[in-house]
Amino acid sequence: MNLNEKIKILSDSAKYDVSCSSSGSSRKNKKGGIGNAAPSGICHSWTPDGRCISLLKILLTNYCIYDCKYCVNRSSNDVPRAAFTIDELVNLTINFYRRNYIEGLFLSSAVCVSPDHTMELLLKSVKRLREEVNFNGYIHVKAIPGASNKLIEETGKYVDRMSVNIELPSGESLKLLAPQKTKESIIKPMGLIKSGIIQYQEEKLKFKSTPQFVPGGQSTQLIVGATKDNDLKILKLSESLYSSYKLKRVYYSAYVPVSNHPNLPAISGPPLLREHRLYQADWLLRFYGFNSGELLNEENPNFDELLDPKSGWAIRNLDKFPVEVNKADYYTLLRVPGIGVKSAQRIVQGRRVSMLDFDDLKKLGIVLKRAKYFITCKGRYFPQKSIPTNAVSIKNRLLLEDNIKNRGNIEQLSIFSLFPGITDGEF
Amino acid sequence: MLYYIYDGSFDGLLTAIYDAYYNKDFPEQIVPQDSFTDNFLINKVYIRTEEEKSRKVHDAVLQKISRRAMAGIMYAYLSEDENAGISILEYLRFGFKVGRTVDSYLADDRVNNINRLVTKVAREKHLLAGIIRFRLLHNNIYYAPIEPQYNTLCLLGKHFADRMSDQIFVIHDVKRSYGVFYDKTKWFMSDIEMNKDIVLHENELFYQELWKRYFDNITIRSRINPKLQSNHMPKKYWKYLIEMK
Repeated sequence: MNLNEKIKILSDSAKYDVSCSSSGSSRKNKKGGIGNAAPSGICHSWTPDGRCISLLKILLTNYCIYDCKYCVNRSSNDVPRAAFTIDELVNLTINFYRRNYIEGLFLSSAVCVSPDHTMELLLKSVKRLREEVNFNGYIHVKAIPGASNKLIEETGKYVDRMSVNIELPSGESLKLLAPQKTKESIIKPMGLIKSGIIQYQEEKLKFKSTPQFVPGGQSTQLIVGATKDNDLKILKLSESLYSSYKLKRVYYSAYVPVSNHPNLPAISGPPLLREHRLYQADWLLRFYGFNSGELLNEENPNFDELLDPKSGWAIRNLDKFPVEVNKADYYTLLRVPGIGVKSAQRIVQGRRVSMLDFDDLKKLGIVLKRAKYFITCKGRYFPQKSIPTNAVSIKNRLLLEDNIKNRGNIEQLSIFSLFPGITDGEF
Repeated sequence: MLYYIYDGSFDGLLTAIYDAYYNKDFPEQIVPQDSFTDNFLINKVYIRTEEEKSRKVHDAVLQKISRRAMAGIMYAYLSEDENAGISILEYLRFGFKVGRTVDSYLADDRVNNINRLVTKVAREKHLLAGIIRFRLLHNNIYYAPIEPQYNTLCLLGKHFADRMSDQIFVIHDVKRSYGVFYDKTKWFMSDIEMNKDIVLHENELFYQELWKRYFDNITIRSRINPKLQSNHMPKKYWKYLIEMK
């Protein structure tokens, strides 16, 4: 089989892994070597689905001994199979890198022969890249569940990021769709990588020359919509992954129907909006000081598809608003819908030299579309005829201004809730 | 109307700023001679670039304002915006008055104008770090043509020299007819006059094909969203992208 065919098969199988991030590592180039890592990460292209290409995301092989129902590479699926030789893979990576097509390699693999055998192949590939070719660009490698500790630890010394995909957010879902995998086999390597990273950080304090261990941290991926697990369950899981396993990122992947097994839901397209809401909530956990309990609870275990999680929270907690822009502390500002990390930082910086007004906010580049319902400047609301202050009206204004394209959704609201002014005299 | 006209170099612009300060002039515009169109209402002052004056302005900015302010006016200059020159003068006048805290005045137009230009240039610089595409030529030089909207190429020399430290390369700004060169030891800038056709290395098309193949296959068909794609990667940059041809 020629290289062209192999690329087709092995990239096709890798594309459902969403992570393509190349950030978090500042690996330097070595003398006479090729490549380095940029801490911010760099995107090199964008495919027609709008996702960025940063790394050469590819499988070493798609021959798999497992038969996970949700996966294209399941052993019972009739798809063409291929495997790279290590030479081919190294050659491809280097030649793409030299042309600045990519920021590095994201190497994954189906489980071929056994977990240990697969992990060994992955280790050999990255070792060849680092030691023989002197490649110092970004490398992200999958840790194969079930592989021995030693292999995983050894691999960690050569790569920038490692990940283990949880895929299904609960033990029951695993049993249903991936009966050959267990929760334990997935959690174990994550724990291993975590302690490796912590050990490295501790030793680094004592010895400057400590060899790096997964400097870009570890990540994982959860599939959304292949099972009945609700948003609350998923978000709670992410939250504990961030706190107990110190993960850098949890990725969410809207389930793309690749099989019609009876255990899988029949859906026409991937639940993209749900995926989007989960990402928004994930950001709220990591950068905005929210916890999952504030965003969802047992009574409302799923996100409102029409409204972003932060606006949803703000409307449920109107007693905390309005917030005075010139006085509120940074974390209070961050909780205002429409104000993000950059905006909050600018406000804090800008008000040091003068009191801010709505016009000033605009000049600071702060979008008031959402924020105007939740803030005051110098004690005054946004100068617009009527800024509603009750939950129902604010929500409806937000939805209207969102200009929701899906007419069906908007018509589900009654005419009275869309125009509350008719009944409560607000207009 | 008083116009300052400089030679288009950064030194020239800083000299103009020096002159405006010491002649106590308030020019309406500071423009590079190439983009200047005369009319009879304009009072022209031609600036004679002097490195000494330029260095004095440079040192004063570092001492009295900040390193960040210096980088800011450099980026603003590279934006080639028609008002860049006068915006820089106004920003510096304000900066010399308030000192280090100048960048906290985010809502002040004099600061805001510079920040807007800085954002544009910084954004393009980051984008180009990703979307510049080298082609291997028959003589083993990696060659990348590109037409940036702003004059950002000079900001990328170090990035690529650090990264591709063992390959000879040229990044060619086709619009501005100059390039960034790297010879495995140092990088430098020089004018480029193209008088020969480019001859590719015999393996080059093979890798271009592989890359296109990869690009096509990594797309998830059920998530197609061309608008999102061109938001991230505006069409004006597609011309030299192997995968978009």
